Amino acid sequence: MASQDAAKKDSKAAEAKPEQAVADQKPAAALEEDDEFEDFPVDDWEAEDTEAANDGEGGKHLWEESWDDDDTSDDFSTQLREELKKVEASKKR
Amino acid sequence: MDTIFKQFAEAQVKCLGYDLSHTLSPDLSHENLRAVFKSCNAHDVKTVIKRGIQNSGVGGSLPKEEVQGWVEVYHAYWKAVGELLAIQESSTANGKSSNSSWSSIYESWKELLSALIRGYLTYGFEAWTIPCLYVAGRHLRVFAIRADTERSNNMSVESTAEANFEDDFNPESEKNQMLEDCARQLNRVFNLCLSDRAPIEHSRKWGIYYVINLLFKTYFKLNSASLSKNILKALSAGRGDMPALISFPKSQQVTFKYYEGVLCFLEENYVEAEKHLTTAWDMCHKDALKNKELILTYLVPCHLLTTHTLPSHKLLEPYPRLQKLFLPLSRHIKKGELHAFDLALQGGEDEFVKRRIYLTLERGRDIALRNLLRKVFIAGGFEEPKAEGGKQVRKSRIPITEFAAAISLGSQETLDNDEVECLLANMIYKNLMKGYIARERGMVVLSKSGAFPGTGI
Repeated sequence: MASQDAAKKDSKAAEAKPEQAVADQKPAAALEEDDEFEDFPVDDWEAEDTEAANDGEGGKHLWEESWDDDDTSDDFSTQLREELKKVEASKKR
Repeated sequence: MDTIFKQFAEAQVKCLGYDLSHTLSPDLSHENLRAVFKSCNAHDVKTVIKRGIQNSGVGGSLPKEEVQGWVEVYHAYWKAVGELLAIQESSTANGKSSNSSWSSIYESWKELLSALIRGYLTYGFEAWTIPCLYVAGRHLRVFAIRADTERSNNMSVESTAEANFEDDFNPESEKNQMLEDCARQLNRVFNLCLSDRAPIEHSRKWGIYYVINLLFKTYFKLNSASLSKNILKALSAGRGDMPALISFPKSQQVTFKYYEGVLCFLEENYVEAEKHLTTAWDMCHKDALKNKELILTYLVPCHLLTTHTLPSHKLLEPYPRLQKLFLPLSRHIKKGELHAFDLALQGGEDEFVKRRIYLTLERGRDIALRNLLRKVFIAGGFEEPKAEGGKQVRKSRIPITEFAAAISLGSQETLDNDEVECLLANMIYKNLMKGYIARERGMVVLSKSGAFPGTGI
């Protein structure tokens, strides 16, 4: 457990002075390019502040299937038939 | 200076590394920088610092050589503060001819970092003080970038003033001169942390992930992300006696996982990439919008290829930029609009290439094609029921011409049957479609049980 003490010490120090940490970070952030991973304003946070704890239902609903059966496939089949006719017609010519 | 020594003593007594590191911050108000710098002069600075530390309350309890080490650190800090002050004053006085520049700040800050490294190697600084290395390393990178920008600005002024006659002048390698040097300095810190053999609770190994993250950022900016692999190799070689990542602060874990994920992504190892990025996503602070946006930039293409899923509107809602990036493509994939997909990919090419996701998204074309073929299959309808009330079976024999017609829908181009067969064979090979091509009959015979695996039909 001693191994974790050092980490805890670190995180406590950061919690104690969050406003100072924010101040430290600002000039650096202004310089960052828009695609660079930013320094977090605080060093560590509780599990309840993580994304996982806040997206509900384990984030499952955030991704959806890649196909879509909702649009009326009748439209598509008519379109397809017409396209087929066109292809046939151009072959005969 | 006196305030610094007071903070120094307090931090030393309580062994608070972050508090100690604040005494080395260059982000001070102009007045504070001035106060620090004016509190001594070049002749007496070392004496003042030494006396300051000795009289600070901990001076007596610190070993003599450690005091010496800190004197050198604060001496370097004092000099860097002087440079910072000079550039601030020259910019307010609007004097362009000033001698101070970001590169001299970089050099003086590098001295500070070196003094710290010496402190650990020769003067016995204890491991709890490593946040000092964080502050030094973090700002070294910032100063290096500023110095590089400053030089390239100056250079463009010069080259317009007088034509450039030098043939062997290579602006690309010069452009990031300081940042490249910075990467070397950070590498020294990396080795300093990695090679510490002290028992783990007193080990500098606790600084390793902070330094690695700084190195990753630097390498990515230098466009040599591949160098990060060496770091990962060195890390995994020493992993046996390294504290587990999970025991580090979450900010370090998330940053590390993000870069580890992006590195796998660039190597087209999407399964691993997805794992790391998902860890980063789940653990990320809920309010860190910018970082969450970056994680998703890579996680979305990963998901598309590994699980064939698309981001929901809800997921992208807080990120207008990602909506612009991904929503048109997602819509076309979903609807199987192959041609529209191609156009959207072309339209966003610059943006996709810049974010290194073009090649990955291009592979999404397979999914769009799969969905289009799937629609043809559905449009084919059902076989005549053999018996009353029998189970409906979809027509599983589809003429190749139907697929061909569907593929050329919208693009006005007709493909040869050979080309179409080639596309279909690829789909079958990639297990996106199940069946075989009966060439002599010009038919595709699809599997009756799951013609398009994983899509419910």
